[in-house]
Amino acid sequence: MSNTPPKMTASHVTVHYGTKRAIDDVSIDIDQDEVVAFIGPSGCGKSTFLRTLNRMNDTVASARVEGDIRLDGHDIYAPDMDVVQLRARVGMVFQKPNPFPKSIYENVAYGPRIHGLAQSKSDMDGIVERSLTRAGLWAEVKDRLSDSGTALSGGQQQRLCIARAIAVDPEVILMDEPCSALDPIATAKIEELIHELRGRYAIAIVTHNMQQAARVSQRTAFFHLGTLVEFGRTSDIFTNPRQERTKDYITGRYG
Amino acid sequence: MSKSLVAQLPTGPAEPAQRVPTDWTTGAMQGRIRRRYAAERRFRLMGLAAVTLSAGFLAFLLATMLWQGIGGFTETRVTVPVDLGAAKLAVTPAQLDGRGADLALAGAGLEGIVDTSASRAYGKDGDNLLSGGAWLTVREAIKADPSLLTRRATFDLPVASPIDVAYKGKGAPEAEAMVARLTPRGVLSRSLNTGFLDSADSTDPTRVGIWGAFKGSLLTMLVTLLLAFPIGVLSALYLEEYAPRNRWTDIIEVSINNLAAVPSIIFGLLGLAVFLGTFGLPRSAPIVGGLTLALMTMPVIVIAGRNAIKAVPPSIRDAALGVGASPIQVVFHHVLPLALPGILTGTIIGMARALGETAPLLLIGMRAFIAAPPRGLTDPATVLPVQIFLWSDQVDRGFVEKTSAAIIALLVFLLAMNGLAIYLRNRFETRW
Ligand SMILES: Nc1ncnc2c1ncn2[C@@H]1O[C@H](COP(=O)(O)OP(=O)(O)OP(=O)(O)O)[C@@H](O)[C@H]1O
Ligand SMILES: [Mg+2]
Repeated sequence: MSNTPPKMTASHVTVHYGTKRAIDDVSIDIDQDEVVAFIGPSGCGKSTFLRTLNRMNDTVASARVEGDIRLDGHDIYAPDMDVVQLRARVGMVFQKPNPFPKSIYENVAYGPRIHGLAQSKSDMDGIVERSLTRAGLWAEVKDRLSDSGTALSGGQQQRLCIARAIAVDPEVILMDEPCSALDPIATAKIEELIHELRGRYAIAIVTHNMQQAARVSQRTAFFHLGTLVEFGRTSDIFTNPRQERTKDYITGRYG
Repeated sequence: MSKSLVAQLPTGPAEPAQRVPTDWTTGAMQGRIRRRYAAERRFRLMGLAAVTLSAGFLAFLLATMLWQGIGGFTETRVTVPVDLGAAKLAVTPAQLDGRGADLALAGAGLEGIVDTSASRAYGKDGDNLLSGGAWLTVREAIKADPSLLTRRATFDLPVASPIDVAYKGKGAPEAEAMVARLTPRGVLSRSLNTGFLDSADSTDPTRVGIWGAFKGSLLTMLVTLLLAFPIGVLSALYLEEYAPRNRWTDIIEVSINNLAAVPSIIFGLLGLAVFLGTFGLPRSAPIVGGLTLALMTMPVIVIAGRNAIKAVPPSIRDAALGVGASPIQVVFHHVLPLALPGILTGTIIGMARALGETAPLLLIGMRAFIAAPPRGLTDPATVLPVQIFLWSDQVDRGFVEKTSAAIIALLVFLLAMNGLAIYLRNRFETRW
C-alpha cells in the first residue's frame, strides 16, 4: 500500500498448544497506517495469532510459538526484548470488556502511571481526557469519572477499554472481536472510532462480522483451521476472492 | 467496491411443523407445579430451622456465660472500722513518700492491725471474713492520704472467697451463716472488681485477674499474625502466580492441605522440640506460643489465600498485562487487592482458631502458674484459654465464676479481633 516498511511482520509463525497445532505457518504484515481484519470460522486460530503479536501467549503455559515476528524490524521474541515495553507499544482490546474494578479515571490513568508517562496531575488529567475523547466516551462520562468502570454499560465498557489501550500511546492496537457483545449503535460508534484511529495506529482487528471487516479494514486475512488461506486487499477479498474456501465463508455457505 | 459477496440474512422463518400445543392445565402438570412449590418451601424452612438452631445455641451459650460470669467482674466488700490512730504504726510521713512505703507499712504490721480490727468488729472469726489481700486496700488508702494514720476510719474491704461466694448465693453452710449474720447489719456491699481487670493469676480467687492472660493472648496473637499473615499470603501468591506446575508443587500443595488438618497438639510437640529444644527459646513465652500457633495458622491462610487468588478473573490479569504491567505489578495492583477480602476471611478463621487453642500451648509450658502479666515477648505468660482451663480445674468454688468471667473476656477478645478483620475486609471489598 505504501513504500514505508511494514510496522509489524510475522513470517512463518506456527503456534502449538501442547502437541496441538493451532497456527500453521502464517505470514502476515501490518502497515503503519492501515487496519487489517482477521476473519475465519470459530476455533481457526485468529485470537491465538493476534495474541502472538504482543506475546500475550506467554501467559499460557502450554503455548509454544515458532517463527519470526518483528516490530519495526526488531524480533519481539528476541531475548533482549522487554515484554512489558512491547505490550505498552502493542496494545490490546479484548473480546469481552474487562475494565478494572476501579474508577473510570483510574482505568485510563493506570497504564500511563505505571509507565511514567505523566509528569503531573494535570498532565494525567489531560491524558485521561484525550484518551476518553478519542474513544468517544468523554461526553458520556466526564461528570462521573470517579464511578466504577464496571458500572458502565457493555458498550461503554468496551470503549473504556479502548481508551485504556490508547492512553499508553501504543503504536499498534490489537482488537479481538471488540464488538461481539455490543448492539448495533455501540458497534457503529466503535467502527467510527477505528476510522478515526486509523493512520495514528496500526490496527489489527478480529471480527466475525463480514460487513464490519468490509467497512473498517484495508486488508483482510482469512484463516481456516490454523492456516492463512488468503490475505489481500479487503475490496478484493469481498468481491473477488481467489480461493473457493474464502468465497464459501464470506457468502455464508461455509460449513 | 463492486457488488459485495457478503451473505444476506435469510428472509423469514421456515414454516413451523404442525404440533399439538402443550396443555399446562392437566392434573399431572398441576401436580408437578405443586410439588415444585412444596420442595421450595421445604428447603426454605429447613434453612430457616438450621439458622434458628445455631443462633439459638449461640444465644444460649452467651446468656449462660454472661449469667454465670458477670459476677466474676464484681467483688463483695465488708465495711470495717480501723483505728489507725490508736494502733500507732511506726511509720514516719517521710517513709510514705518514697518507694519504700509498701515495705514500711508491711513491716509496721498493717496486715495484723486490719485483721484485728475485723475480729473486733465482727467477732472471733472476723479475720476469716477478709480476703488475704484486704489489707492492701488499706495500704493504698494510706499512701493516698497519710492523715489516715492519725485517726479512725472505715474501709470497704474485699471479703474472703467463701464469703464472696456465699453472698452471691451458693456458698458453704458456715459462710452462708456468716453472711446471714452480717447482711442485716448492712455492712456487705458489691462493687466492680477492678483488680480482676488489671492483675494476673493468684491462688486466692478474690485476687485473681484476667489481665495477665489477656496480655499473654495479645502478645501471642501479635506474633502469630505478624508471622502467619505475610508468610501465608506470600506463599499463596507464589504458589498461584509464579510456581510452575510440577510434581514438587503438587507435593507442596498436598502437604499444606494436610498441615491444615493436623491436630493442634502435634504442633505443640513440634514447638516443644524445635523452638524450646533446638533453638533454646524460653519456656512459657508468648514468642514461642506465637511461633507455634503461626505454624498452625499459616496453612489455613495459604489455602484461603490461594482460593481467593484463583477467584480473581483471568480477564483482569489480561487487562493489566495488556497495558504493559509487569507480573509483579499485576499481582500487587490488581490480584492482591481483589483477593484481599477472601484472604482476610481465611485469616479470621485461622486467627480465631489460634486464639482458642489450648493444647499446643500446654506443651510449650504456658500452663505454668504465672502471677505477673508478661512485660515482653520472652516473659513467662499464659493465654486466656489456658487460664480458663487452669481455673476450671480448681477446687476452690470462688474460681467457678472467675472461669466464666474469663470466658467472657475471651469472647470479647474474639469479637474485637473479628470485628476489626471484618471492618478491614469491608473496606477493601471491591464492588463489581
Ligand atoms: N489456552 C489454550 N490451550 C489449549 N488450546 C487452546 C487454547 N486457546 C486456544 N486453543 C485452541 O486453539 C485453537 C484456536 O483457538 P483460538 O482461540 O485462536 O480461535 P479463534 O479463531 O479465536 O476462535 P473464536 O472465533 O471462536 O474466538 C482452538 O482449537 C482452541 O481449542
Ligand atoms: Mg477468539
